[in-house]
Amino acid sequence: MTLVPFLLLIEDDDAIRTALELSLSRQGHRVATAATGEDGLKLLKEQRPDLIVLDVMLPGIDGFEVCRRIRRTDQLPIILLTARSDDIDIVVGLESGADDYVVKPVQGRVLDARIRAVLRRGERESTDSATFGSLVIDRSAMTVTKNGDDLQLTPTELRLLLELSRRPGQALSRQQLLRLVWEHDYLGDSRLVDACVQRLRAKVEDVPSSPTLIRTVRGVGYRLDAPA
Amino acid sequence: MKDDEDGAQDQGGGRAAGQAGQADHGKWARIGLRWGSLRLRLALVFGAVALTAAVSASGIAYWINREAVLTRTQDATLNDFRRQMQSRAADLPVRPSASDLGTTAKQMAADGNAYDVLLIGKASDGRTISGASSPGAFTLSDVPDTLRDAVRHRQKVSPANEFAYHLFWQRVDHDGTPYLVGGAHIDGGNLTGYMFKSLAQERADLESLAWSLGIAAALALVGAALIAQAAARTVLKPVQRLGEAARQLGEGEFDTRLRVTGTDELADLSRTFNNAAASLQKKVEDMSAREESSRRFVADMSHELRTPLTALTAVTEVLEEEADNLDPMIAPAVTLVVSETRRLGDLVENLMEVTRFDAGTARLVLDEVDVADQVTACLDARAWLDAVHLDAERGTMARLDPRRLDVILANLIGNALKHGGSGVRVSVRTEASGTSDGDELVISVRDHGPGIPEAVLPHVFDRFYKASASRPRSEGSGLGLSIAMENAHIHGGTITASNVPDGGAMFVLRLPRGAPRDEGPGDERGEDRER
Repeated sequence: MTLVPFLLLIEDDDAIRTALELSLSRQGHRVATAATGEDGLKLLKEQRPDLIVLDVMLPGIDGFEVCRRIRRTDQLPIILLTARSDDIDIVVGLESGADDYVVKPVQGRVLDARIRAVLRRGERESTDSATFGSLVIDRSAMTVTKNGDDLQLTPTELRLLLELSRRPGQALSRQQLLRLVWEHDYLGDSRLVDACVQRLRAKVEDVPSSPTLIRTVRGVGYRLDAPA
Repeated sequence: MKDDEDGAQDQGGGRAAGQAGQADHGKWARIGLRWGSLRLRLALVFGAVALTAAVSASGIAYWINREAVLTRTQDATLNDFRRQMQSRAADLPVRPSASDLGTTAKQMAADGNAYDVLLIGKASDGRTISGASSPGAFTLSDVPDTLRDAVRHRQKVSPANEFAYHLFWQRVDHDGTPYLVGGAHIDGGNLTGYMFKSLAQERADLESLAWSLGIAAALALVGAALIAQAAARTVLKPVQRLGEAARQLGEGEFDTRLRVTGTDELADLSRTFNNAAASLQKKVEDMSAREESSRRFVADMSHELRTPLTALTAVTEVLEEEADNLDPMIAPAVTLVVSETRRLGDLVENLMEVTRFDAGTARLVLDEVDVADQVTACLDARAWLDAVHLDAERGTMARLDPRRLDVILANLIGNALKHGGSGVRVSVRTEASGTSDGDELVISVRDHGPGIPEAVLPHVFDRFYKASASRPRSEGSGLGLSIAMENAHIHGGTITASNVPDGGAMFVLRLPRGAPRDEGPGDERGEDRER
């Protein structure tokens, strides 16, 4: 990972784009900008950003569609810029594969903290590996294999799996997971956890609708079990 | 000879029946009034009318028939008897023997109109002798004394009354059979004749007539009940429909209309109702359209404001960080721009929150949280820990939207700090709820300020309501407490404000611990799928 994080900012409003670029640059990021989803996807192919900050309301293809297209080929971290007036937007955004979201108007400092938290998720750890049934989590190589095949996980999904696997058989509440994985404060949105668990289940479970690895603990949160 | 009216007649039964009917009617009418139903009252009125009509018509018919039948039989019999007395009895010798009387009586009975004859005479030795057409059936003792006296009584002869003795009759009951008894004294002789005519046939005829009339009256009553039912239906059906429509209108179904048929008063009423409903609907629609458009305006406006605000907010930090390096003349201006941008941001955020509640698009994002941790974090995030005394036990778990709880707490505690200075006490406890199943989470926020004026107390949760018009504008958007209340409501909870007797105001937030009425769209998806 490069020392200076390289971000791609996709935002259609000139003033917001300029202001966020200014603010993020001052926080020590290198920022490339695009005004539309199409331009953003083109830029993504040419340059290789570490993270994408994506506005939801875009002319042409919207942020959700951009997010889905990126996810088809790439596990790049994505942070959505949303308007909270549309609560359902956040759910759609999380389902289309975003790692986190910030609500406009956002302070540069908050956005920077989120960006850094997401980027930290991809950092390697110096420990061993763990096996849960057919699932092998190699913590030093930061890879997950299922039946010997490499799984493509986003850094957030990987971090969630790592945090759960570090405490096998122990239920973690959504708020705990929000602090551990997303580094959110006490107001973390539990839907982030639920959406990420859904995506993770889709990749690691044999039958995602009846999970045997990542179990829901009613009224508490989630737990990683080795299948019996 | 003249027929005299004698009082021995049996008319009592009919009158008694009439009185019994009226007593019945009174009783039913009382029950009807108590039940109060229009349908019942109509049926009773119809029934009473039918009963009265049937009873009086039957009574009159019976009475006329009875008199006609009896008079005809009576006149025929008495005339026949008179003729027989004149022809046969007058031919008897002055001192007839008992056998003479018996023979004559038999002859009279045989020629006569099916009646028995009893002849009483005086024998030559002055003994009273008698002869009967059917000996043993009737004797003189069967003749009522009043009749005997009347027959024997000698009238004064005058131009108006040419006979000394008259023919008298009376109806009697002999061994359960009605009889007509007639008697006459032969003028200038000692012979008295009596006749007994059975009225059994007439009674049987009249009884069957009474039965027919009774059945006809009963049929009329049944018919009246049916007609009453039909009338009640035709009258009450529209009334019922009108009542139903009025109820629907009251429940907010402003497109309720009645079908108008006919030209009667009920149709008029229906038309009036329809007109009222139509104008009400129009008014309500106009009002809600106006309200909707003003809501939309606020929503759109705050939406529009957010775009420049996002840009402004993003660069305020840049300005803030550079403020120290700026010209001392310019630095305060920059600081002001930064702080006012924040205020504007808060205001717009509050406005958007309010429009979400108004539009009903506000959603709960529920999670199981430790309430004490949440309160502590809320205080910590705003650097209020030193000014607030917190009385809460860790491990008080509740299922709620942490962001909304934070909004409520920040508004309540912020308000307390603003008006009551430091020394704010926040306590968290749970109570068994009186109404719903499950516990209630109770968070009270108490300050030691001057309290809330009584006049203001009912309005503290109103939007943009400020305790005094001269209050400095830096004290908030005027939306804080109303937003707190809306956030409590969406959880199915509430907030109450009051003054504490020993000074200071107290806000109490009550939230159900377990089961809010509205679940967020993203809630418990994993659990749903596993179920």
